[in-house]
Amino acid sequence: MNFDPWIWIGALLSLAIFSFLYKENPVYYVAEHIYIGVINGYLVTFYWHNILVPILFKRLFSGMYLLIIPAFIGCLYFTRFIPRLSWLVRIPIALFMGYYTGLFIPVTIQADIIKQIQATLLTTQNFKMWNAGALGIVWSVILFVGVICTISYFYFSREHKGALRVTSRIGIVFIMLGFGASFGYTVMSRVTLLIGKLQFLMGDWLGIIK
Amino acid sequence: MKKKIPLALVFIAGVSGLVAAFVPHPLVKAGDEIMRNDVLRIIQSFAFILALSSLVSVHTSKIRTRRHKWPYSIVLLASFLITSVIGLGGGVSGRGILPTQIGNFNFNIQTIYQNVIIALSTSMFALLAFYMASASYRAFRIRSFEATLLLSAAFIVMLGVLPIGDAISHHLPAFAQWILDVPNAAGQRGIAFGIALGGLATALKIVLGIERSWLGGGGA
Amino acid sequence: MKIFETLTRIDRRIIFLALGGLIIFSLLFPRFLKVRVFPPVAKLYEAVDKIPPDKALILDISYGPQYQAECEPMAYTVLRHAYKNRTKVLALSLYAEYLGLAKKVLDDVTAEYNRNARSRDDSLIYGRDYVFLGWQPPPIIPILGMGESIAGVYQIDYYGNQTDTLPLMKHIKNYNNVSILVALGGGTGSEKWWAQFAQRKFGLRVGAGCSAVLGADYYPYYQAGQFTGMMVGVKGAAEYEELASSRAKITAERVASERMLSLTYAHLIMIAFIVIGNISYFVTRRKK
Repeated sequence: MNFDPWIWIGALLSLAIFSFLYKENPVYYVAEHIYIGVINGYLVTFYWHNILVPILFKRLFSGMYLLIIPAFIGCLYFTRFIPRLSWLVRIPIALFMGYYTGLFIPVTIQADIIKQIQATLLTTQNFKMWNAGALGIVWSVILFVGVICTISYFYFSREHKGALRVTSRIGIVFIMLGFGASFGYTVMSRVTLLIGKLQFLMGDWLGIIK
Repeated sequence: MKKKIPLALVFIAGVSGLVAAFVPHPLVKAGDEIMRNDVLRIIQSFAFILALSSLVSVHTSKIRTRRHKWPYSIVLLASFLITSVIGLGGGVSGRGILPTQIGNFNFNIQTIYQNVIIALSTSMFALLAFYMASASYRAFRIRSFEATLLLSAAFIVMLGVLPIGDAISHHLPAFAQWILDVPNAAGQRGIAFGIALGGLATALKIVLGIERSWLGGGGA
Repeated sequence: MKIFETLTRIDRRIIFLALGGLIIFSLLFPRFLKVRVFPPVAKLYEAVDKIPPDKALILDISYGPQYQAECEPMAYTVLRHAYKNRTKVLALSLYAEYLGLAKKVLDDVTAEYNRNARSRDDSLIYGRDYVFLGWQPPPIIPILGMGESIAGVYQIDYYGNQTDTLPLMKHIKNYNNVSILVALGGGTGSEKWWAQFAQRKFGLRVGAGCSAVLGADYYPYYQAGQFTGMMVGVKGAAEYEELASSRAKITAERVASERMLSLTYAHLIMIAFIVIGNISYFVTRRKK
């Protein structure tokens, strides 16, 4: 058993969270509220030491007076608490959201659409990508058909009748296989977290396992 | 004016973000760097301060008005205050103006992170495994062809990716990998196209001022 | 018949106990299970193994505590692999709240390596062999900014040093001096941003290490070549450990591989739960 006080604190807080499995109780709520308090305190530390001091205050007080402009715009966030001036909060939101929205437009087109279309087309390069010889052509055709049929499933501007009904039914098969794979992987992920936690409790704290 | 100014700003900021991706002129790049490295970073820090002040305000109000579960708000504010003082005073690496060690007992911000935040966070998410097991047992029913497909793919992947897959059949791991590489990639790509096109349309609507829900209510 | 009705109404705490008990049992009686390596991880391993001496590896450690069990073994093994080849390493995190985890990995692996060093030249020296850049918000800024100048984005490193005064940073200016970036985003989705911004604009090679939750979603990116290689969940970490052990002869503890037995039991019991749940449902439904 480990007698480091911090290990004990970590272990007891972990057990407090796990107590929720039995039923809701005050111990769980105390641990939950400690978590929110501590994580915000941690973030305050880094925002202060890594951003506000070196990027704003140090430079501002060493002569870069123009930085008062973004600081002022940032302060407009607090007008949210003044009903008469609360519309000013839209200004920093507009700048932040507008810039990143504009930035994402070419990124989405190039990385999420064009690049993905290139990888779906039936080209020699894509056949060779599988390193499976002639089977590479078969997998590429299946992939191509799967992508087209999946997209056709989400086309709701027309009723799914005739050819569209056939392609959307095929699309559903691919979607379900994808979701099944996602579910299998998600189970693996969640269980791994539990294994890691139990290893900490049984190993680092109680010393029962190596 | 209360809507026109923000809409004009979102258009200008959106176009500046878009233009920077295509125009390699040094002036444009310099302006883009100032926007990203200085302006937006500082603005974002204030957004965090706002979020923090909202948190403190909500919980102090809860304590003052003795609302449901108000004692827990005291715990939250106390732990926030203590951690902030230790972090701000003690510094990122524990070598600030405030001492963070008494004898062999260290309580700097990193120690608190390792032993409190990690412990609590990992425990909260470890609970999900239990709830996933319970939900799978109670709710996962093979009521249709699609559900059967989903479950079959899930079982093949769950067994195939692990060493037991090899023990069951030498071909099972390769089949699981094929499901991930081909039908899964096809399905996910089709969905991703839809999301990308939808996201693109929404982004254009925001920049052009057609989508105005972000403005919120109130104001002329 | 009555047993199936009882099974449909079983208390969920019994399910919790069964799952927890089985995993505890597997941890008390561990057994090492060898894993088969698949192309996504093999490609990533090759890319990290073949980093030229004049180029660096950027390791983005942006997984949170909730993905630590899956992604931390990845971080340890990739870093051990890089150190074994004396590859220059730049580490960073895209989120302030995950800096502590990044620091832990760097400190542990560096100390482990230096314990076997016989001289200063053999040792890993901060600033000369590796740099911890720290964090700069928001995430897109460092991803885009480092393409022009790494020191321009991270003017000070995690420890407060001026980055451009560090010996390593005199040679590593931007992505042109970086061979590959391994993004361990956990469940944050940051691996996709590296591919969308850095890979697209600057041609930087990106390897992904993600939580299994996002693993299935990232196959289109891997298949399109936007990810040079990919590790998915603890299984991906175990595959990389297998390669690091067999090819690079790294003899450190294989945390991910040790979890394979517990994972196997857990998957089997989950499958059993689903099967029993369905059998009970159909039997009781038929009776009605």
